[in-house]
Formats: sequence, structure tokens, C-alpha cells
Amino acid sequence: MSLAFDLLLIAALLWSAGRALTTPDLFRAVVLFIVFGLLMALAWARLGAPDIALAEAAIGAGLTGALLLDALGHLRSSIRQKSGLIAPSAAHRSEGTGNNTPTYFLNGLVIALSTVLGLALVWALLELPEPAVRLPELVAAEMAASGVAHPVTAVLLNFRGYDTLLEVAVLWLALLGVLTVARARMPGPPRLTRSSLKVPRLLARVLAPLTLLVAGYLLWAGAHQPGGAFQAGAVLAAAAVLLNLAGLLPGGATPQWVLRVGLGFGLLVFLAVAAAVMGQGTLLQYPPAWAGALIMLIETGLTLSIGLTLAGLYLALSGATRK
Amino acid sequence: MSAGLLYALAGAALFALGVAGLILRAHPLRKILAFNVMGSGAFLVLVGLGQRDGTADPVPQAMVLTGIVVAIAATALALALARRLLEHGNEREETDA
Amino acid sequence: MLDPLPWLILLPLLWATLAFVRGPGRGGRLAMAGLLLQLALAGGLAGQVAGEGARVYAVGGWGAPLGIDLAVDGLSAVMLLLAQAVALPLAVYARAYYAAHDDGARYFWPLTGTLLAAMNALFLAADVFNLYVTLELLGLAAVGLVASSGGAGPVTAALRYLLATLLGSGAYLFGVALLYGAYGSVSLTELAPLLGADAPLAVFLAAALMLLGLMLKTALFPFHFWLPPAHGGAPAPVSALLSALVVKASFYLILRLWLDLFAPLTSVAAAQFLGLLGAAAILWGSLMALAQTRLKMLVAYSTVAQIGYLFLLFPLATHTGALAASGALQGGVMQALSHGLAKAAMFTAAGTVILSLGRDDIARLGGVSSRLPLTLFTFALAGVTLLGLPPSGGFTAKWLLMSSALHSGQWGWVAVMILGGLLATAYVFKVLRQAFLPVEAGTKFKPVPRMLEWPAFLLALASLLLGLRAGEVLSLLGAG
Repeated sequence: MSLAFDLLLIAALLWSAGRALTTPDLFRAVVLFIVFGLLMALAWARLGAPDIALAEAAIGAGLTGALLLDALGHLRSSIRQKSGLIAPSAAHRSEGTGNNTPTYFLNGLVIALSTVLGLALVWALLELPEPAVRLPELVAAEMAASGVAHPVTAVLLNFRGYDTLLEVAVLWLALLGVLTVARARMPGPPRLTRSSLKVPRLLARVLAPLTLLVAGYLLWAGAHQPGGAFQAGAVLAAAAVLLNLAGLLPGGATPQWVLRVGLGFGLLVFLAVAAAVMGQGTLLQYPPAWAGALIMLIETGLTLSIGLTLAGLYLALSGATRK
Repeated sequence: MSAGLLYALAGAALFALGVAGLILRAHPLRKILAFNVMGSGAFLVLVGLGQRDGTADPVPQAMVLTGIVVAIAATALALALARRLLEHGNEREETDA
Repeated sequence: MLDPLPWLILLPLLWATLAFVRGPGRGGRLAMAGLLLQLALAGGLAGQVAGEGARVYAVGGWGAPLGIDLAVDGLSAVMLLLAQAVALPLAVYARAYYAAHDDGARYFWPLTGTLLAAMNALFLAADVFNLYVTLELLGLAAVGLVASSGGAGPVTAALRYLLATLLGSGAYLFGVALLYGAYGSVSLTELAPLLGADAPLAVFLAAALMLLGLMLKTALFPFHFWLPPAHGGAPAPVSALLSALVVKASFYLILRLWLDLFAPLTSVAAAQFLGLLGAAAILWGSLMALAQTRLKMLVAYSTVAQIGYLFLLFPLATHTGALAASGALQGGVMQALSHGLAKAAMFTAAGTVILSLGRDDIARLGGVSSRLPLTLFTFALAGVTLLGLPPSGGFTAKWLLMSSALHSGQWGWVAVMILGGLLATAYVFKVLRQAFLPVEAGTKFKPVPRMLEWPAFLLALASLLLGLRAGEVLSLLGAG
């Protein structure tokens, strides 16, 4: 029974991804991609990874979907006439429209090669022996010293906390890049008309405080069950997107200093903790008695900054290009 | 066959699909979708293959959480660039007309 | 005592964040203070490695395979020194550059700080997943910098660069997933003894995907398509950072994986293939450089060619015997160092010419010799390194590579290097000849601040003098 479900889910995953890449209509492609994200969340749940399922639904499908749809609104008008201009396709491919034979040949070659790659990978996975190192046992053995009770949080913020530090920097960096590229413009009028805003506004006013509660819960829950700073931050960002859609929160591409402090706060807290504990040992080595409290401190800072950054990615883009 | 291995196989197929899409499709938005499909494939292999004996492994799960955040960061930057590019295109046409 | 190792990663991240909080365009002085400290830290770390050999640093105190290890040896110490030594004069240059020309200055400092943190973290990493995160950090920072001036050309180049770099890191990540599936660990030190020639197919595929992804990021021919527009179209300080350092970071990782982790899997055929791509890069990049009409594009194509030399070390170092192999490694690393310094000098000199003239047509450089003599001299000195004339670092590099080729009886690569040197002479002299022509009628040279000309000159001088100090560099490289 469960095998049948898995096979069905995998078929749906492959179908939605394949269609998202091949359907001629871009809007349909984006919708199919969001469906793909939701199916991925389901797959993560099937794999016993509720943390990833939460993150995938909120970030992978939700926020990525919002970003894509928002971008599509802008790209759509100019798709047909300008497919030549916006083709940063591999330059070694033939660019001209006159000589189609080499293009067809190269396309065929790429398709053939990636099919071979896929088949080789499947073959390789099927004949793989058991791994020599068993990390789950090591994680279980050190859980007591990690300061938290949820294994994924222990890996994310303690055992491999250094990865997370760099990852937070990646997210912040993406916002820097977006702010660099997005042109500062006066925030335009909300996209919906006054009368059509009434219901969404009401909804947003009710939902926004509710999402704050959910975010707080996810943050607190992360210490002992699925959840944590990234999921909580994503929920905060969703609230901001909602308020923006309802016309209650303007977009913009030049953050003022309070906002800049907020955006850098999580990274600064993380860096401060990383540096402070070095007096006792090495980088990010929490004293065992303090581990739980320090992780909570970092996660709180991260929730704020991740929420602001994820929201910023959306708001900077939608605020900067709406005329 | 365990569920882990099954999803890892699906991941391998998604990765190959994403690579082909990223190289072949011309539109930047489509390339961004393809990159995300490719990433999802890698994530499925990381987690699925890691727990092909049926026990949950928190280490690759944490790595995939990291990977998802990196993927949205890259997606947002790519979208910002694609939009800016089209604005330039529009301006050029407006001045031409 | 303060351990320099973690601070080389934390410090640039810290000043990058603080520069961002201070606001758009701010943070230049903070960055210079940070970079000065970083140079001292890298020097201190190199001293430690020279004295006590390689060492491992367990982040969080856990140790691999549960935690993440950092590691430093001669190779990473040398690369760290290069990165800080190039970045400091570039920061001085960038302050003067953006004071004269504020296009794209808004987030230059935070992006540059993150770029350096990513690079230092990459040189110190000993964990294949952690390396993936540093690669992404490095790639996104570099793309943000390319796009920073915001024109249609740079934005197109940045998007193409981003998609190429994402394809590269995606392939790399898939390789990491396969390695974890095969062995249950992502630590380089844990993985190395587990890998043998009898490894399952998945591990061979992992190696191929990871190396291909990194070759795309290093812009090795034929994956170089994204490089010239990105490096040629970015503001001059950014072009210098990217050409001098960023492509070297992914090359360093290829080298590290080839020599350490994947050594049991490597074959002569694969090494010859890499060498052939390198040879093609040298010839194609040089010919394209010769054909350019814009100064910065010429310098960018010269980078494509110079990257090719780096890959000649693989056929010379793989299954050829200890003498040829160590010579090839030394030659390759010297090439990375001398090209890093020389190319930073060349791009900054080109940027100064463009600021002063307001254009970068090679055909209309007349008068540069009399109006910007120091900058032209800088360009010529950097050219000496690219040509491989003594006493430059480029000469030492090519000498080491050629003698390694002779030791292993691979004459073909010597011919490629000689031809590459002749072509480099042609494209460097193409610029110099124009610069010595008289000033064109109606051309105005804007006066340029000295802080633009001197950092570039120092970089060029360093690339020249590197050849005289090669002994010290090579002994540090050999120290574990």
C-alpha cells in the first residue's frame, strides 16, 4: 500500500517537474513548479523528515512560488518579442536562427547525455554497498551534550553549526545582491483597487498577528521537535508578503538603518557567540551547560533576520519594479 | 527496496532532468525552475540514500535545510537579475520607438 | 594566544556585516583595517605552518565525522596569503576608484568582505559539504559584484555567470550526495582512506560531477563562455578581484580533490584530457585576446589563457614519478600566485586608463605613455609576468612546468607553453604599441589620484619580485 503511494508520488514529482520545464506557457510552468514543491514537501514527510517538509512547503513552494509569480507578472508582457535578448543560454551553442541543424544536433546531444547521466546514476545507486561510517549513531550518542533534544536542530546549530553560520551569510548576501540590482523607486500604489482590498486587508490584519504566534511557536518548538529558526523566519516572511499584497506594507529597495540593523542582527549575534566562546575552546564550541541557552539566543536572532531577509527579497523585488 | 532508495532514484532522475533543462531552455525563468529541480534531485539523493536502510539520519536532513535556504537565495538573486535585464530591454525599445 | 585560523573567516564576515549596517557606500576604512589585520593573520598562520606543519581545527570541538573540521597545510597557507595580499591593495584602489566614479559602490564593501570570508573559508575547509556552502557564498558574492554597476551589459553577464556557477555547484552538490551515500561521511580526512581504485561506480560519477562542476566555475575551456563578459564588464576593482582570486579558488579545490581525495581514481587518460583542455584554453584565449578591440576584454581573455597553464600540471603530476610531479605542482601554484598578482595589476591599470580617458578602445590609447607613465609601466610589468620573462613569478612558474614536462618526457606541453608565451607577447605589445602613439587630437586625460596608480604598481612589482622569493614560497608549500 505505502509502496504504491510512494510510486504514485514519485510519478507525480517527475511529471510536474518535466511539465514545468517543457510546457510552452510560462504561467503554467510556474504553477506546475509550485505543485512540484508541494509534492516535494509530501515526499519529505514520507522520508521521515518533517523539518524539511515544513521548510519546503514554506520556502521551497511558498516563498519561491510568490517570487516567481511576482516576477512573471513583469516578465510576461515581454516574453514573446524578446526571447532572443533574454537568452543567456550557453554561448557555445549556436545563437543564429538561420542554422538550425547544429542547434538541433546539440540539443539532441544534451538530451542524450543527460539521459545517459540519469541512467548511470540510477545504476550506480542500485549497486551501492552499505556505508562505512554511521553518523546517526554518533549523533544519538552526543545528543545529551548538544543542548537541545531534537536531532536535526542539534546538527544544524551545534554539530554542524558552522555550515549554518555560512548559510545565514549566503541568505544575507542574496539580499545584498538583490538590493544592488533592484532600482530604488518610490513605492507605487498597491496593485489591487481600494474596494477589492477590503477583504484581503481584513484577512491580513487577522492573519498577521496569528503568523507571529505561529513563528514564535515554531522557534520555541525547534529545541525538541521539528521546527526552528528557518521555518519560523519563513512564516514571518509570509506575514510580510501578505501585508504587502493587502497594500499595508510598501515595498522598497533602500532599507533604512533600523532595518539594516535588523537584517544584520542574526549574523552579528551568531558571529558574536562564535567569537565569545572561543575564549574557552574553539570556534562555536559552546560550554555544555550554556549550549541550550546560546542556541536559543542564536535562533531568536536568526528568526528575526531570516524573516526580514526573506521578506526583503520579496519586497525589494516587488517594490523596486512596480511603476 | 526501501523508501529511501526509491526517492534517491527519483532524485537522480530529477537531477538529470534539471541539468538538461538548465542547459537547453533559453528563458531565464525556465532556467531558474530547472536549477531548482536539479537541486531538489540532489537533496532527495542526499537524504534518501543516507537512510536507505530505513533509519532516519538527521545529518543529511540538516544539510538539506541548509541547501533549501541556499537555493532560495540563489533563486531570488537570479530573478532580480532577470527582471533588471528585461527593464533594460524595455527602455531600449522605448528609446528606439 | 590568538589563533589566526578561525579569525581569517570571522573577521571579513564581521566587517562586511558592519559595513552593511553603516549604509550604502560606507565601510571602506573599516574594510582596510580588517584587511590589514587579515594579512597579518595569514602571515602568522603561514609562519605556524612553516614551523609546525599542517594541522586540523575541529569547529565546535566535535571533530570529524560528526562535526566540521578545518585544516591548513602549505598549499592553503600560500593561497590564503595570496588572497589577502591581493585584496589589500585592491581595497586601497577601490576607495579611490569609487570616489572618482561612484557607479556600483553601494554594496561593494559588504560584498567584498563576504567574498573574502568565503574564499578564506574555502581554503581552510576539510569537509565536502562545507565546501559546497563556501562555493555558493563565493559565487553569489562574485555575481553581486559583477552586477553592481547595473548596466545592461554587466547584468546580462551577471545572470549568465550566476546560471553557470549554479550549474557548477549543483553538479558538485550531487557529487557530495553520492559520496555521503557511499561512505556515510562528508569529511575529507574520513573519506580519503575509504576511497580506493575499487570504489563503486557512484564514487567515480561523484568525482566526475564534482570536477566538471568546478571546471565550469574555473572557466576552463570550453566552459569559459561566461568569463570574458563578466570580468570584462564589471567595474575595474571587481574585475581584478574576480580574475586574480575567484577563479583560483575553484581551481584550488580541483587541485585538492585531484591530489588528495580522488587520487586513487585518477588515470593518465583523464589527466591528459585536462591538459588538452588547458592547452586549448591557452591557444584560444590568447588568440581571442589578440582579436579584442576593448582593453578590458583583452585582459579578460588573457585570463582564459592563463587559466589554461594551471591545468597543464595535471598531466605532468599524475602517475609521472615524484620529481616531475612535485615540480608540476610547484609550477602550477607559482602560476596561480603570479597570475593573481599580475592580473590584479593589469585590470586596475586598465581601470585607471579608462577613468582618465573615459573610453577603452585599444586603438585610441595614444598618449597614455606620456600622460599616465606609471600606469603604463604597471601594465608592462604585469605583462612581463604573463609572458614569463625572468625574473618574474611567471618565469619561475613556466620554468618549473617546462622542466617537469622534460622530466616526464612530455614535449608537447613545452611547445604549447612556448606558443602561449609568443601569443601573450603579441597581445601585450598590441596595447603597449598603441599607448606609445602621440595623443589624439581632442583627447582629454582627466588627472587621476595617486591612490589609483600606486596600488596597481605595487601589485605588478610583487608579481615581478615573486620570482626572486620563489624559494620561500615553495618551502612553505612543501611544509605539510
